[in-house]
Amino acid sequence: MTSMRLTGYADKFSVHPGDKIQFYVNCDGPAEYSAEIVQMINGDTNPRGPGYIDAKIAADINGTYSGRKQVVHSGSYGYAQDARPFRVESFTLQCWIWPTAPKTHPQYWKHSAQGLIAKWSQDCGYGLFINEDGCLELRINEHRITTGVPIRDHAWHFVAATFDAATGAVKLYHEPQVVYALDPVIDPVETVLSVAISHAPVPTTIAAYVESLAPDDPLAASSKPAGIVFAGKYNGKIDSPRICNTALSRQDIESMKLGAQPGLTERRNSGPSGRLSETIVAAWNFGKGIDTLTAFDEGPYGLNAQLVNCPNRAMTGYNWSGTNFDWKHAPDEYGAISFHDDDVDDARWSADFEWSVPIEGVKSRFYAAKLTTADGDEEFIPFWVVPRVGEETAKIAVMVPTISYMAYANEHVACNAGGAELFTYRVPIMQQQNMFLSEHREYGGSIYDTHTDGTGISISSRLRPILSIRPKYDHFLAQAPWQYPADLHLIYWLETMGYEYDVFTDEDITYDGLARIENYNVLITGSHPEHNSGPQLDALHNYTQRGGRLMYMGADAWYWVHSFHPAYDGAGRGVVTEMRRCESGIRTWRADPGEYYHQSTGELGGMWRFRGRYLHSVAGVGMSSEGFDISSYFSRTPDSLDPRVSWAFEGISYDEKLGNFGLVGGGAAGLELDIVDTMLGSPPHTLAVATSAGRHTEAYLLVMEDFGFNQQGTDGTTHPRVRGDIAYHETPNGGACFAFSSIAFCGSLPWNNCDNNISKLVKNVLDRFVVDGPLPAPPAGSVMHRGRADYDATAPEHRSRKERGEPLPV
Amino acid sequence: MEPIPKKGTPERQRLIDEHRRCVDSMKGVAGFSVLECRTPGDTTEVGGGIYIDPTLRRVLLRMRGERPRGKLVVICTKIEKEWRIGRLSGIRGVPPTFATDEIYTSEQEIQHAIFLMRLDELSESYGFPEDFDEGWKRRDDNWPAT
Repeated sequence: MTSMRLTGYADKFSVHPGDKIQFYVNCDGPAEYSAEIVQMINGDTNPRGPGYIDAKIAADINGTYSGRKQVVHSGSYGYAQDARPFRVESFTLQCWIWPTAPKTHPQYWKHSAQGLIAKWSQDCGYGLFINEDGCLELRINEHRITTGVPIRDHAWHFVAATFDAATGAVKLYHEPQVVYALDPVIDPVETVLSVAISHAPVPTTIAAYVESLAPDDPLAASSKPAGIVFAGKYNGKIDSPRICNTALSRQDIESMKLGAQPGLTERRNSGPSGRLSETIVAAWNFGKGIDTLTAFDEGPYGLNAQLVNCPNRAMTGYNWSGTNFDWKHAPDEYGAISFHDDDVDDARWSADFEWSVPIEGVKSRFYAAKLTTADGDEEFIPFWVVPRVGEETAKIAVMVPTISYMAYANEHVACNAGGAELFTYRVPIMQQQNMFLSEHREYGGSIYDTHTDGTGISISSRLRPILSIRPKYDHFLAQAPWQYPADLHLIYWLETMGYEYDVFTDEDITYDGLARIENYNVLITGSHPEHNSGPQLDALHNYTQRGGRLMYMGADAWYWVHSFHPAYDGAGRGVVTEMRRCESGIRTWRADPGEYYHQSTGELGGMWRFRGRYLHSVAGVGMSSEGFDISSYFSRTPDSLDPRVSWAFEGISYDEKLGNFGLVGGGAAGLELDIVDTMLGSPPHTLAVATSAGRHTEAYLLVMEDFGFNQQGTDGTTHPRVRGDIAYHETPNGGACFAFSSIAFCGSLPWNNCDNNISKLVKNVLDRFVVDGPLPAPPAGSVMHRGRADYDATAPEHRSRKERGEPLPV
Repeated sequence: MEPIPKKGTPERQRLIDEHRRCVDSMKGVAGFSVLECRTPGDTTEVGGGIYIDPTLRRVLLRMRGERPRGKLVVICTKIEKEWRIGRLSGIRGVPPTFATDEIYTSEQEIQHAIFLMRLDELSESYGFPEDFDEGWKRRDDNWPAT
């Protein structure tokens, strides 16, 4: 099979006319490649659909470029620039550690010693490590002193080492916080080394060590700092690292656990005692500046460390008491940073070409830089041209769910998780992108994955090649397009039907708020806008309340709390997003106790529902079930005959099967499904105009947040809430929401050259929603008091089709 | 736990035949389930397969819940044209390898080929005390749950 020799990304998802966008390309092998800007129209290669379609754009950067290899230096760590105080003769190193993978399989992608605190490189310097055997190890120049005791993973240990240059005395401590009945006693290791520390001109590192200084190596240019290559990336937590310039007694080491304690001159100077303060080189407090990329040193020299690749902060420390769950209220109990060897916040590649988007003549659409070689290599770097606020060019806008794209970026679930096949209900199919990523863990995973050490991934950056945001890519969950290529089904339909539209991304609406959307008559979502920022939901609410119209084209939206990390604002909008999987919801991993609050903004993570913001309140429906084998279709309900909404079904007979065809699962109702629930935020006047009730397979299961007791009977063949409901409701000032309630829905739009009943339904809705001014007022009789739980089950309009004597589809 | 029907038994052949029917009927569907489409390639009406054969259903659930190490997977080698059977390494950073030399030209057909391989490969005592090992005491991604 073709290996992926071309990969790339851009500095922006969203670019305005007149602005520049830079492209970064790794071309590993071919001498040159061609680049051209294309408009993306359809990304699905299924032979039963229109096939892949793009349209070349006449761009001045279209041409041939020299290829060069660029690599991602993944793995998080901290570094402090070399400074005189680090150049000690004697020392004490100490910290708390909670390692997650102290001993790795020999074939593990980064099987090696792991750095804890080090100013060590190539047999010069000093540092504390975990060696390849999983034991604590002190390195002084070429010397290695180890306890020979394997460190228990997922447990706190206090570790320390002292070296007295005058006597050569070395002492190494490994003190587990929890000692079980049958654990052997771990005595300190003592030895004598007649050695003077040789100091290399390298930074002091936390959770890594310096492998080499390579200022002239082009592949080291994407490391940070550029030209310095780090190795020994540690997996696990570190808390309270300290360096002192004296071999301290065990009692003084104990005092130094308190850190530098600065602040009151008349009491302590800068240490637990005046005497100890004079020995401090650095005493980092990771509980300070949790929302930054700086590890603050509270010692006398202020040797702050820069954190690279966004390790997890706001992590419970060795001293977490279990009484505070929000780091903002107890930063001293959140003095741990969790490092992972596959963290990546920015690939930091050099730009290969830059396009200035013309001010005129390039519509607001889906685009990509299409890269090809003569040997058949191909890569797409997607981006969106988005008008400036106030310069909208259409009455329709498509909200591109880029936060959701980032959440799913480079996912590995098919080859990591033992359970993956149980939710797809078939053997997963891996595409070449999955194969490449399974070998190139440095490209980072998705928020659905666990890190290579098994810890959940809660951070995703867009400044890296994201191979899942690509056309011609079927996702293992669907055996069909998912997210980006699935949203292109909608784009193909808009293009085919001849609509004029703008596009904007989740970033744009998050940063611009209501201003980004208020000039459009109708907003259209993607097929699966699951991951959302708070400002985005605020803007959508304000929009629909002021008469805006929302067409929600999919399912499982408005589900997870996301925050863009403010530490990356200087690099552009929405560079890094954070999402913690907390107490409920569909979760491929679960955050640990006490780690529910985001490090980036301090807000509580998890489902919006558990922040009191119900999914169903945004567009009238919310997720109720999911299953990934095959799709089904919708049937109209009596609600669809209500004159408030019957216009949507013009040209569609009552008993037609709605969407029993499609390019995702074979039907319009599939993958993930939303229902109306007035108890969970659907407005009481919501009309459920069509439903797929009773038709789903046993692969479809009720969402876990909807039940509290494990039970049988929650699948599509047995549970009445495993269904999708197409729904409509009016909002104030002539606004409205139409929800199509299925991720597979858009996959039916292109069927039969867009000539089908799903296409007709969506067209009817869009044509009505796009008109200027408020929508026609609903009939006066529809204005009435309605309860949430309370309704009149005897009223004819609330009776079932069967009870009303209406024919059921055969 | 559902035992895997032994080789050469009528029960095993029954599972194979039912699986075969489902696979054939799913050709053309942009998705897959071990169910039979009344009209081939059309999911409007499905039945058979795991709905009518509880043994087939349980055997498939067991197969699907196998740990990643050595687990069979489909690898698409030419988009919409060619697929091959791969085996997961179970080690992060070590990619799947091809398990056979066969090239399949249907993404559904390969599901049946993997079913047959798994019938032969799966331990009869999986999930029973005979198979107990230290891993049973440790929850991780390798268990059939996410």
